[in-house]
Amino acid sequence: MAKRIITLTVNGQPREVAVEPHWTLLETVRVHLDLTGSKEGCGTGDCGACSMVVDGRLVTSCLMLAPEAEGAEVTTIEGLSRNGTLHPLQQAFIDTGGVQCGYCTPGMIMAAKNLLDANPRPSLDDIRLGLAGNLCRCTGYAKIYEAVAAAAERMG
Amino acid sequence: MAQEVATKQDYRYVGKPTPRIEGAAKVSGETIYADDMKLPRMLHARVLGSAYAHARIKSIDVARARAHPGVTAVITATELPFYHRNESNRRQIVLADDETLFIGQPIAAVLADDPHVAEEALELIDVKYEELPAVLDPVDAMREDSPLARAALSDVDRSEERGHVTTDVEQQEAEGQASNIASQMDFTRGDIEKGFAEADVIIEDTWRSPWVHQSYIEPHATIADYDASGELSVWTSTQAPFFIRDQLALTLNIPASKIRVTATEVGGGFGGKIFLTEILVAALAIALHRPVKYIMTRTEDMLAATPAPEAVIEMKTGMKRDGTLTAVQSRLIYDSGAFPGAPMLPGCLLAGGYYKCENLDIRGYEVLTNKASAGALRAPGAHNITFAVESHMDMMAKQLGLDPLEVRLKNAVEQGDALPSGQPYDRIGLKECLEAIGNSDLWKDRAKSKQHPNRGVALAVGGWLGGLQPASAVVGLNGDGTVNVMVGSADITGTNTSFQQITAEVLNVPLDRVGVTTGDTRTAPYAGMSAGSKTTYTVGVAVKAAAEDARDQMLKIAARRLECEPADLEMADGEVRVKGSPDKSLSLKRLGRLTTSFSAPYPAIVGRGTMTARRQAPGFSAQAAEVEVDPDTGDVTVLRYVIAQDAGFAINPLSVEGQMQGGVSQGIGIALSEEMVFDDKGRVVNANLLDYRLPTTRDLPPIETIIVEVPSEDGPYGARIVGEPSIVAGPAVIANAIDDAVGARLRQIPATPERILRALGKI
Repeated sequence: MAKRIITLTVNGQPREVAVEPHWTLLETVRVHLDLTGSKEGCGTGDCGACSMVVDGRLVTSCLMLAPEAEGAEVTTIEGLSRNGTLHPLQQAFIDTGGVQCGYCTPGMIMAAKNLLDANPRPSLDDIRLGLAGNLCRCTGYAKIYEAVAAAAERMG
Repeated sequence: MAQEVATKQDYRYVGKPTPRIEGAAKVSGETIYADDMKLPRMLHARVLGSAYAHARIKSIDVARARAHPGVTAVITATELPFYHRNESNRRQIVLADDETLFIGQPIAAVLADDPHVAEEALELIDVKYEELPAVLDPVDAMREDSPLARAALSDVDRSEERGHVTTDVEQQEAEGQASNIASQMDFTRGDIEKGFAEADVIIEDTWRSPWVHQSYIEPHATIADYDASGELSVWTSTQAPFFIRDQLALTLNIPASKIRVTATEVGGGFGGKIFLTEILVAALAIALHRPVKYIMTRTEDMLAATPAPEAVIEMKTGMKRDGTLTAVQSRLIYDSGAFPGAPMLPGCLLAGGYYKCENLDIRGYEVLTNKASAGALRAPGAHNITFAVESHMDMMAKQLGLDPLEVRLKNAVEQGDALPSGQPYDRIGLKECLEAIGNSDLWKDRAKSKQHPNRGVALAVGGWLGGLQPASAVVGLNGDGTVNVMVGSADITGTNTSFQQITAEVLNVPLDRVGVTTGDTRTAPYAGMSAGSKTTYTVGVAVKAAAEDARDQMLKIAARRLECEPADLEMADGEVRVKGSPDKSLSLKRLGRLTTSFSAPYPAIVGRGTMTARRQAPGFSAQAAEVEVDPDTGDVTVLRYVIAQDAGFAINPLSVEGQMQGGVSQGIGIALSEEMVFDDKGRVVNANLLDYRLPTTRDLPPIETIIVEVPSEDGPYGARIVGEPSIVAGPAVIANAIDDAVGARLRQIPATPERILRALGKI
C-alpha cells in the first residue's frame, strides 16, 4: 500500500514519518519513531495503556490512525520529564508505590496529567473519574489515587 | 495483635517503606518490555488457532498464504524441527496436526517482516476440520456416558503446578484410562456422619465460580533467536526463566548450557505468565534461522492463554449452637480445560484448611473439557473454594444468631492444627488477622452502616500455603565500594527492591550503593519460578546469606589491615571499623580497590548464598467490606474495604501494601464482574477488555491495609509469603456483604445485577 508522509510534533520535536494508511498513531510512535514508552494492552481502546495527549486531548492512540495526526501536537510519556528531572506526577508515582509492573503506568500518568491540567486540585472522586479509562491490574488504584493527590499538592 | 519482631526498630533498611529500585525507568517509559525490542533480521509471527473446540484436522492448505506478497514462511507441524512431544502438556504439542482440543489451539504460524502482512496471510490458510463432540460442562463431563474431551493420557506433566503450591500429597491420576476425570483426591478425617449428628445447624449448597482471566495489561510476548553455533536465546515476559529453560532443553533436545532465557520486565503475570509460547517461538526461530517475535493480541490471549478455571463446589457443613464446627463435607469439581493442571489439590486442602474440624470428607475432581487449559491465577483454586467455605460460615453463624467474627475466631486454625492432608501448620497468623479486622474502623462502624438502607458489612478469610523451590544469589563488592547483587528470579512484585534492602541491612551501606540484577539463565544463579509467593521467602534467604558471606570476606581482609580479629570489627556508614575505635577504619571503597585493582593484595570479594526451603510459611488475610446494593437495579457499590494480612515481617511495607491492595482488587473483580462467557461451541464470547469487565477506578474505593506480622520460622527477618493470599477472600467478602445488605444470598459469582435481582426474586 502506498505510504504517505505526515508531519507532526512529538514531545516538542517536529517529525516527518512515512506511514501506511492503516497504521495507528501508537504503532507509528512506538515502531517508527522508537518511542516505546506508550504501550499496547488491548488494541481496542479499552485499557488506556496507549494514552497520549494529542492537541490537548487525552487519546487512546491505538484507535487513532496515523494520517489523522497530520499537523498534530502529540505528547507521550517520554515528553514529560524536563532535562532529566521527573515531572511531579512521575516522582509521586514512584514515592507512593503507584507503579508496580509499569505497563499501565505511562498511559495512567498521561491521563493524570490531562486531569491535573484541567483540574489542578482534584478531589478523590475527581481522580477516580479522571482515570476511569485506564486499567491497572496490579495496584487496586489506591496508591495511584495517592500519587495524583500528592502531585497536585506538590504542583501547588 | 501484631507480634513485633524484637529488634525491628533497630533495622535501618528492612521494614521501611522503600520506593521501587526500577521506578524511575518505569514512570519515564524507558523500561524495555519484550514488545519494545527489535533484533536485526527479526520476523514477526502470527498464529492461526483452531476454529473448533474439538475437531480432527483433515487437511491444511497453506499455498495461498505462502504466495501472499511479503510472507517469508508458513509453518505447520510438518515443518517444525524435531521435538519431544508430550500430549499432557499443551506447549509440547507445538502445532496441532491431528486432534484440536480447544478454540485457539495453534495450528500454523505465518512469518513476515511486517506483522500486518502476516496477519493478512492467516486468512489465506485453509484448514479442513471434522468437527468432534465438544465437552464443555465439567459436571456433565464426569458422567460415564459423556463423550471424551480427548484420548486417554499417560505420562502427565505437572511440573508447572508444583511451582505454585508445594504439598506432601499427590492426586490419583487417571493415567491410561479413557475418562474426562484427569485426577482425583480424597481427604477424610474422623466420622462425617457423627459430625453432622452433633450439629445444631447444617447447611448444604452448591457454589459456582466461572473461568476468569489473569488480565495482565501486557499480553504474552516472546522473542527467540537461534544462532549458527546452536545457541538458543529467548526473551520473554515470564515469571519462570529457569523453568522455561528446562522445558526448552527437554522438548527441543538442546543442552541447558546452550539456552539463554531472559525474563524481560513482566507487565503483569499473576500466575498466568509462567510458560506458554516459548517452545513455539523457539521452534520457529530454529526452523527459519532468524529471530522471531510473537506478541499475542488481547483476543488471542483471552481465547488461548491459561486462564483460571471454573469450579462447582458442593458443600455441606455442620455447626453446634456454641459455634463449634463439627463437619465439613465437600465435592470440588475444577474444570481443567483440555490438559491436566487445574488447582484441585490446593482447593481440597483449603476446604478444610481454615478451621479446626474433627470430621472431614473432601473429594476433589479435576475434569477435562475442550477449553484452553487452566493455569494459575494468584493462589490458584483458592478463591473458588473459599467462596463456598466462607459463605457457609456466615450462613451457619446467622442461623445460630452468632457473631460472624467470633465464630471464625473460635474455629480458626493455629500452629499445630492439621491440614486435611494431616500436615500440621507451623506458626501462622490467621487469628491475628481476624483480630485486626475486628479492631478496624470499618468493622467497628457496622452498626452505623446498618442505619442506611441497603448497606451491609461482612468479612471473610482467605489464605495460601505457598510454593517451595531452591534459590541462590551472588553479592559482589565493586572497585568503587558499591555492591552488586545477582539473582535468577524474575522481579514481578518488587522483590529486587527487597533484595536491595536486605543487602544494605547486612552490609550496613546506603540503599543507593546496592544494585540488583536479575540475570538470564546463562549468567544468573539458579532460582525457582516467581510463583507460589515464594520469591522473597526463598531468594531473600539466599541474598541474605550471600551478603553475609561477602561481609565475612570483607571483615577478614579488614582485620588483617587493621591488625585485629574479625570479631572486633563492625560495618557502619560504608566502612569497616574497629568497635569502640571508630578512627580505625577501612572504607568499602578502599576494600574495593584492595580486591579489584591491578596487583591487588587480596582476592575479589564475592559472596555466595544458596538455600532450599522445606517448610512453608502460609499467609492468611481477613478482609471486610461495606457495600451498598441498589435493590431496583441490582448494582453493587463497594463503599469501603479493609484487608488485614499476615506478612510475617514486611521487608518493604510499601510493596506489601501494594500486593494486598492489588490482590483485593482482583478478588473484587472476580466477585462482581469478571467472567469468561462461553457459547455452546466453546468459544469465549467476551474475549476483550470491554466485555470482560476488570475493576476500574470507578469501582474501587481506596483499599485500606493493616499489615499483621507473625514471623515465619525460616523467612528472611521472619518474612512469609505475601503476594497471593490477598485475592482469596474477595468473592466471599462481597457475597456475604450483599447478603447482609439486602438479604440476597449469591451462590454463583460474579454477583452481577441480574443474579442479584434473581436472588431477590425481582426477575
